[in-house]
Amino acid sequence: MDHMTSSSRTQWITGISVVVVLFVLPVFLNEFGRTGEYWIWVSTEMIIMALFAMSLNLILGFGGMVSFGHAAFFGVGAYTVALLTKKADFPLYLALAVAPITAAIAAAIVGWFCVRLLGLYFAILTLAFGQLLYMIVFQWYTFTGGDDGILGIPRPDIFGPTNFYWFCLVLFLLCFFVMRMIVSSSFGLSIKTTRENLERAKFIGINVKRYQLLNFVIAGAFAGLAGGMLAELNRFAQPDFLHWSESAEPILASLVGGMYSLAGPAIGSTVLIFLKIFLQQIHPSMVELWAIVLGAAILVVVLFAPSGLVGLYQNICKKFQS
Amino acid sequence: MATPILSIEDLSKSFEGNQIFSSVSFSVDEGELSAIIGPNGAGKTTLFNLITGALVPDKGKIIFQGRNIVGMEPFDIVRLGMARAFQRTNIFPRMTVFENIVIAIITRLKGNLRFLKPWNSSKKIERQAFEILQSVGLADKADQQSGTLAHGNQKRLDIGVALALEPKLLLLDEPVAGMSPDERWETVELIKELWNKMNITMVFIEHDMDIVFGISQKVRVLCYKSLLAQGPPSEISANKQVIEAYLGEEV
Ligand SMILES: Nc1ncnc2c1ncn2[C@@H]1O[C@H](COP(=O)(O)OP(=O)(O)OP(=O)(O)O)[C@@H](O)[C@H]1O
Ligand SMILES: [Mg+2]
Repeated sequence: MDHMTSSSRTQWITGISVVVVLFVLPVFLNEFGRTGEYWIWVSTEMIIMALFAMSLNLILGFGGMVSFGHAAFFGVGAYTVALLTKKADFPLYLALAVAPITAAIAAAIVGWFCVRLLGLYFAILTLAFGQLLYMIVFQWYTFTGGDDGILGIPRPDIFGPTNFYWFCLVLFLLCFFVMRMIVSSSFGLSIKTTRENLERAKFIGINVKRYQLLNFVIAGAFAGLAGGMLAELNRFAQPDFLHWSESAEPILASLVGGMYSLAGPAIGSTVLIFLKIFLQQIHPSMVELWAIVLGAAILVVVLFAPSGLVGLYQNICKKFQS
Repeated sequence: MATPILSIEDLSKSFEGNQIFSSVSFSVDEGELSAIIGPNGAGKTTLFNLITGALVPDKGKIIFQGRNIVGMEPFDIVRLGMARAFQRTNIFPRMTVFENIVIAIITRLKGNLRFLKPWNSSKKIERQAFEILQSVGLADKADQQSGTLAHGNQKRLDIGVALALEPKLLLLDEPVAGMSPDERWETVELIKELWNKMNITMVFIEHDMDIVFGISQKVRVLCYKSLLAQGPPSEISANKQVIEAYLGEEV
């Protein structure tokens, strides 16, 4: 028991240090003029994508189901914020509050069909629904602006780059704590149970599909919030937000970071975005190499660290302790 | 007269034209400890699958506590007070022994939809879980990953998970299969003890005749695609048909 509490204490200390560094980061970056401002923007995107990756991992790591359509809910959130702020003059806060709701509704409809299927069939159906939503957004010019997307989303005056970064960081931390509570709640344990042994879960009285659907909806809601935040950061929403290739990103992030821990996908997402931009900074043409670097990174992880970076870190800690 | 907790009426099942059994009828009295025997492939597990809702019969009724449960989902049947342990161990391998039991208790208490309170915050559930772990002899392994338990312990955990549901009727499919001789009798004693103490109806499937005739009040023989015989052990072991068909030289 002592060991447990001391390891959870180090966890808290690490967590708090990371949060402090994250809060101070833009102050430090602001010293570097335009480059600094660019990195604040990048960091904000990292926070948002970390939230998106964590939301998917509720389905992937905790629920044990692969969804290839998660970007659809991210996109629904993005368009909710874009349309409400631009066309209906909603204040940003209110639009961001609505984004998870519309995304959850979309996830409830899509999920209602998808959870009827298992494994590969579930994955394919999420892909199909995701692409369907993508096509709707892509084609519906009068409402969504079609392939042009929606440009010029208004930005409240108080949100300079630094303030908006802090705003996103606070939202992210709130979501992190709520997800943490969900994962360690009775509901979280029920979801783990369905992941571990779907058949047995039924025979202890769990209505498996209902819980899978609920989990799918919750994950969709968090993705919707992340999408809304990204729309505001970029000040535009475009159909690509819903595209299946966008769904792949949080899956890769979870693989790299480690899908059996809460923070793993967030770390994986941040590392991948950083690598990509790092390549870009070396030379713009290096982006061509991104697919190779990504492929190599994933190969290394799958072969040598199947529980991702977080698993690797835990193994190293164990080695040092013994 | 004891009242039946479970009545099987005219039950038939086939798989793609392959008739497993037809017109099986019997009833299980409340509080009974009984066995089902029959050769490999006789359809014993299939019978359990029908009773627990895992499979749907071609024909017939399954009356549990006065209610026809044919067509109901397994999770709804569990909630009526029926639990089972499996022939092939069926647990949650990457969860601890403790978590395996706790989730069953939480589900029995309909507490699955709590989103914000940690699942391990209830002292009452923790106490209950340890009581169950003690009764199946796994209390010292509470924090172990259940998938890493030895086979015999996994089978006992499977029974523990079923017990955590506080069933009125407990179906055990070959609860001691694959155990060492010592372990087998230990587990049989444990089952008998649980039955004594818990006011529960138990039906178990078993191949070992010493065990079957040793602890059951009633034995049912599934053979030749039907229920060949049923009765107290003394009657069954003397039944000519049963001896010819199934027990053979063993008795
Ligand atoms: N889902 C299924 N689909 C098709 N055939 C099945 C299915 N389940 C069982 N069977 C077949 O039904 C027959 C009876 O199987 P069952 O498992 O019920 O036998 P059993 O009496 O439990 O045997 P054992 O003593 O070996 O456990 C077998 O021939 C089996 O192959
Ligand atoms: Mg069997």
